[in-house]
Amino acid sequence: MKATESPAGPDVRQEPGDEWWTDRPFLLELFVLSNLAFLILDVYLAHSFNDFAHWAEWIPVYFAGAGTVALAVAVGQETRPRAYWSRRIGYVVGWAAIVVGLAGLVWHLEGWFFESVTLKSLVYSAPFVAPLSFTGLGCLLLLNRMEEPTRPAWGQWIVFLALGGFVGNFGLSVIDHARNAFFYWTEWIPVVVSALAVGVLVVLVARRPTKGLLRFGYGVLALQVVTGLLGAGLHLLPLFETGVPEPELWDALRYGPPVFAPLLFVDLAVLAALGLWDLHAKVHAPS
Amino acid sequence: MEMDSFKSVFIALVIAGALILGAFFLQAQRPTLETQQPQPELVEATGTCASCHRRETPAIVAEYERSVHVKQGTNCLDCHQPQDGQASFEHRGFTLAESLTSKNCSQCHAEENRQFLRSRHAAPAWAAVQGSTDFSAEQIEFAEKFHEGAVKRPANRLAQLEGEAATEVGCQGCHSIGKPNPDGSIGSCTECHARHETSIKLARMPRTCGQCHMGPDHAQIEIFEESKHGVLFNANKDLYDLDVDPENLTVADMPSPTCTTCHMSGQGGLAVTHNVSRRLSWYLFAPISEKRPNYAQNQAEMKRACNNCHTSQHTNEYFADAERVVRATNEKVGNYMAIVDSLRADGHLTPEPFDEPLEFEIFDYWHYYGRTAKHGAFMGGPDYVQWHGNYELLARFVELKEKAKELRSHESD
Repeated sequence: MKATESPAGPDVRQEPGDEWWTDRPFLLELFVLSNLAFLILDVYLAHSFNDFAHWAEWIPVYFAGAGTVALAVAVGQETRPRAYWSRRIGYVVGWAAIVVGLAGLVWHLEGWFFESVTLKSLVYSAPFVAPLSFTGLGCLLLLNRMEEPTRPAWGQWIVFLALGGFVGNFGLSVIDHARNAFFYWTEWIPVVVSALAVGVLVVLVARRPTKGLLRFGYGVLALQVVTGLLGAGLHLLPLFETGVPEPELWDALRYGPPVFAPLLFVDLAVLAALGLWDLHAKVHAPS
Repeated sequence: MEMDSFKSVFIALVIAGALILGAFFLQAQRPTLETQQPQPELVEATGTCASCHRRETPAIVAEYERSVHVKQGTNCLDCHQPQDGQASFEHRGFTLAESLTSKNCSQCHAEENRQFLRSRHAAPAWAAVQGSTDFSAEQIEFAEKFHEGAVKRPANRLAQLEGEAATEVGCQGCHSIGKPNPDGSIGSCTECHARHETSIKLARMPRTCGQCHMGPDHAQIEIFEESKHGVLFNANKDLYDLDVDPENLTVADMPSPTCTTCHMSGQGGLAVTHNVSRRLSWYLFAPISEKRPNYAQNQAEMKRACNNCHTSQHTNEYFADAERVVRATNEKVGNYMAIVDSLRADGHLTPEPFDEPLEFEIFDYWHYYGRTAKHGAFMGGPDYVQWHGNYELLARFVELKEKAKELRSHESD
C-alpha cells in the first residue's frame, strides 16, 4: 500500500496486487459501518425498555440509520479511487457520532445520578457508558482520515481506541451485573476477562509491542471472543429455558438480560485484532 | 519469552488484577440489604423499579424512600410479587400482582392480619353495606364466631335504595376496609397505613381514623377534637414521637393519646392489637346498645389503657358516668321506638323502610343523635353528649309525639 494526500487528509489506495481483505483501513471502514448499522437494532431494543419515554431516545436510532446510509455510500467509493466528498461524509458522520455519544452519556446519567451521586444511582441509571460506542465509532472514522495509514501510529491509535472500548466494556460488565448483585458467579467472568483485555491493551499502547506481547495479546483477544459467545448464550438461555411464547418474545428481549451486550466482547476483539495486526506488520516487518 | 515481553505481560496482569479487585471492592461496599436477596429479581427491584418510577410516578418513590420499609430493606417486589390466588401481569421483566391485598402484607405481618380478621373492621364492615353474598361460607362462619349476626345478614336497605353509584363511591369508600378479595383474604392494610408510606405515624394520626369515623352518624373525630385528649394532642403533637414501634410505645413518646393509643397500642403492659373491637365493651352503634360478649374483659383492657394516665378511681368513675349515658340513651330510644312501633301497628307507617319522610327522622334519632350522645360520653365530648346528642333526642321526641298526635287525630276524623 502507499499513501497519497488529498485535501481531506491522507488517502490509502490499494496496490494492484492487494485484496480488500488485507486492506486494513478499508476493513476499519467496514467495521465502523457494520457497527453503526447494528446500533440501529441495539439502541432500538435498549430504548424500547421504557417505550422511548423521552423524545431524545429516538436521536441515536435515527442517527445510526442515517449515518449507516451515508457511510455505506462513502465506503462504496473505497473500491475505486476515493472521491473527495466521500471522505467528507466520513468526517461529518464521525464528528456527529462523537457529539451524539457524548450527549447520550449525559442523558443516560439522568437527574437521579446527579442528585444523589451514589453507587446505587450509578448502577440503576441507564448504562451511561453505552452511548460512548457512538463516540468511539466517530473517533475511528476520524482516525482513518487524519492519521497516515502507513505509519505505526495508525495501528497504535486503533489499539488505543480499542482500549477505550474495553475500559467501557469493563465498566458495563461491572455495572450491568451489579444490577442483580452478581447473583450468579458466572457474572464475574466478563469482569475478569475484560480487565485482562484492558491490562494487555494498556501495555501495548504504553510499551514497545514485542512479539511475545503481541502473541499474548492475540490470546487475550481470543478469550474475549469465547467470553462474548458464552455470554450471549447465557443471556439467551432464559428464553429457551422458559419457552417464551411468540407474542411475549419481544418483551422477553426488551426486559430480559441484554442479548447483544456480550457480543461487544467479540466486536472489540475484532477491532483490537486489527490494531495488533497492524502493529505486528509494521513494528516487526522484515527490514 | 524474552525479558521485555515478560515484563509487559506482568504489567498487564497487574493492571487487570487491580481492576478486578476494584470491582470486588465496589460490590462489597453495597448494602447487604441490596445484595443479599434470595432471588435476582429481588436484587434488581431494589433499584430498577425506581429508575423508571422516579420519573413516571415520583411521589410513590419519595413516599417509599422515607418509609420504615426502606430502612428494613423491603423492596418493591417484596410487596408487589403475586401471592397464591392473585392474578398477575408482566411488567418490564417483573411478574407483579394485579392488585395488592392484606395477603401481600401478611407475608411479614401475619399476626397483625390475624388480629384484624377478628375485628369489625374486617368482614362485618363490608357486610354492613353489601350483606353476606360476597363472602365464602368459611369466611362467614369465621366472622360470625366473633361478631354474631354481623356478616350473615342481608345487604343494607338504605344503600340499596340510594343505588349502585352512591354505594360504590360512597359507602364502599370506607366499608371496603373489610372487602373480601379474590385471593381469599379480606381487606387492605393500606386503608390506614397508606400504600407506599406504610406508616405507623400515619395510622396513629387521629385524622386517619377520621377519614371514616366522622360525620353525624359516627362523629368520633369531631368528638376527639373537642375532648381534652384532642386538645392536648393538637397542642403538643410536634413534640411527640409518632413513629415508635407499638410494642415499645410509652407515655414519654405520646403523653396524650390518639385513637390508636387506647384502642390498639401496647402501653402499660397491654398487648398490641389490630383488633380494634377488642377493648370495646358496648355495641354503641346499635339503636339500643347492649354489652358485647366479652364485656368485662374488654372493658378491663380499655381501663388499663386509661390507667396509664389516670387513676383507677377516675377511670372507674368515668366509665360509670358513660354507662349512665348509654342506659339513659337506650331508654330514650326505647320510648321513641315504642311510639314508632305503635304508629306502624296502627297503620300510620308502612312496613317498607325509607318510603315516608317520618322514617328518615326515625332513623336519624338513633343513628345520629343516639350514637352521638353515647360516643360523646365514652370519648370525653360533653358538647356531643348534650347539644349534638341529648338536646336533639329531646327535641325530636317532642316532635314525634306531636306528629303521632296529629296522625291519630286524622284517624278520629
